[in-house]
Amino acid sequence: MTTNQTDPEKEKMMNENYLWDASGVPDPEIQRLESLLADFHHAGRPLVLPAEMPSAPGKFRGLLLQMPWLPRLAAAAAILLALGITLFFSLRPMHAPDSGPAWDVANLQGAPQIGTKVIAADQTQAKLRVGQTITTNGDSRASLSQADLGEIRIEPNSRVRLVQTDPNRKRIQLDVGTIHAAIWAPPGTFVVDTPSAVAIDLGCTYTLQIAPDGSGTIRTTLGWVGFHLNGRDSFIPAGAMCSTRPKIGPGTPYFEDVSESFRDALFIFDVTEQSTDAGSKQLNTILSQARPRDGLTLWHLLSRTTGLERAQVYARFATLVPPPPGVTRSGILDLDQSMLDLWWNSLGLGDISVWRFWEQSASPQPSPNSQQLLQKKQSLLKQAP
Amino acid sequence: MAALSELRSSRSGPPAVNPPHETGGGPDDALVRAAQQGDRSAFGLLYARYSRMVHGILLARVPFSDVDDLVHDVFLQALPHLASLREVSRFPGWLASIARNCATDFHRRVKPNDEFDEESASAQDEKPALSTRHSSHSSAEAHAVLDAIRSLPDAYREPLILRLVEGMTGPEIAARTGLTHGSVRVNLHRGMLQLREILGRKASPPTGGVL
Repeated sequence: MTTNQTDPEKEKMMNENYLWDASGVPDPEIQRLESLLADFHHAGRPLVLPAEMPSAPGKFRGLLLQMPWLPRLAAAAAILLALGITLFFSLRPMHAPDSGPAWDVANLQGAPQIGTKVIAADQTQAKLRVGQTITTNGDSRASLSQADLGEIRIEPNSRVRLVQTDPNRKRIQLDVGTIHAAIWAPPGTFVVDTPSAVAIDLGCTYTLQIAPDGSGTIRTTLGWVGFHLNGRDSFIPAGAMCSTRPKIGPGTPYFEDVSESFRDALFIFDVTEQSTDAGSKQLNTILSQARPRDGLTLWHLLSRTTGLERAQVYARFATLVPPPPGVTRSGILDLDQSMLDLWWNSLGLGDISVWRFWEQSASPQPSPNSQQLLQKKQSLLKQAP
Repeated sequence: MAALSELRSSRSGPPAVNPPHETGGGPDDALVRAAQQGDRSAFGLLYARYSRMVHGILLARVPFSDVDDLVHDVFLQALPHLASLREVSRFPGWLASIARNCATDFHRRVKPNDEFDEESASAQDEKPALSTRHSSHSSAEAHAVLDAIRSLPDAYREPLILRLVEGMTGPEIAARTGLTHGSVRVNLHRGMLQLREILGRKASPPTGGVL
């Protein structure tokens, strides 16, 4: 499937940027087709895997049944024997158990330290145990790794403490500095505490920076990350970023390719009290400049606005990303969680049931989510004199 | 561990922050390897990244009302066979093939002796499934456009459905299907030309038309 460079058809094609990557001047005909066909798109139904991994439909089973009984018996016995041997070798311990929960540490540059001990450049057996802190100065870098978790690279001027290494929960604390995390563990296993939010890995690679004042920024490269503090949640998919501030918590996430004015307006909106003139002005800027891709931001704004502002956000969001079947305006304005979840899933940025599962597993009792918390706060405010 | 090493080697510098469709094959390769080793969350991520592609491929071939179930079938079929995939970089094309085979099996199963009747499928199965946002007129238009796309050659209808229905960009389509940018671009362009022609023909009768 190649074309001739002089092909005039190709020259014309090169002008059809909107058809190619939705950039350039929108083609009204294509936009109309997109709108007409929107109802047919994938609704993001979550994948339900069987409790046990299915085995490949084997041709051998049919073959076995077609055999006469004696060879069949012999074949079945051979299969059982092979299974037994496989189980024996797969279940026996491959290594001596670790002497304690510790993560491997490697010196990537300079003289990183565990406590007061410098990790030598050629040291291969350095370990970080629960309660210990690893620090890097201005010209040192280190990496933390664990086979069933992933790898965390620690950049200069950082301080990281290992907090927890339970099988189902690995936790570090990033006081200051920058880490790059590439995580293999199941979503929700790896958690990073920071002074202004908790970052929950949902299957991804990301960069987390924390400034000396406790404020921070997260940038996701693959998958998505949940940012959480006191019932305020932000979801940051690949290509997006989100700030967090002490006492406020996670800001509203946005894709990195938004305009500067969109970014500035969102920054001010996040730190401005709700339903003020200043906030409304910024909200107008955000809504007017939002693209379909910025449904990420608008979805979060639904639960961070009230009254008329929420209705404005709904209207713009619905224009850019039509609500999927089962999602109604009144339901969204009431912050119906199931409808918000459906709409989020329709964005194709991640299956929110993963997050809901983490919420349930993170606390022994079901904890109210951010929307419900906000509703509670609102009702308390109404009752207040 | 192999998958982890792969991630490690791909991240020698600060990670470039790119949308998923621009991240290249590396991260997906690592995910495929992890899924091959039985990591269910990695398989879940692959589902998240490729389900739109599978949905689009199926929608190009089977009634809308059956597509969601078949998307699940495709991934459940892929799961036990994933370990046998030797070149992980071929995962997108491999998965797309499973989706196409699944659509073929669907037609064998549903109508072993008959041709697939698109119109009756549209009439009986698809219209009720569409949201109420669209009027019956625009719903009929949507079905007409979908049918027009489905009437195009395979090479054109898949990228067009992925672009116009699933909302994927050309680079995303290329990354997800394993095709080159050039192929996708040309197929989108030529498919769109043919679609415009078909819809133009439908629009030309005096009774009015699709566009």
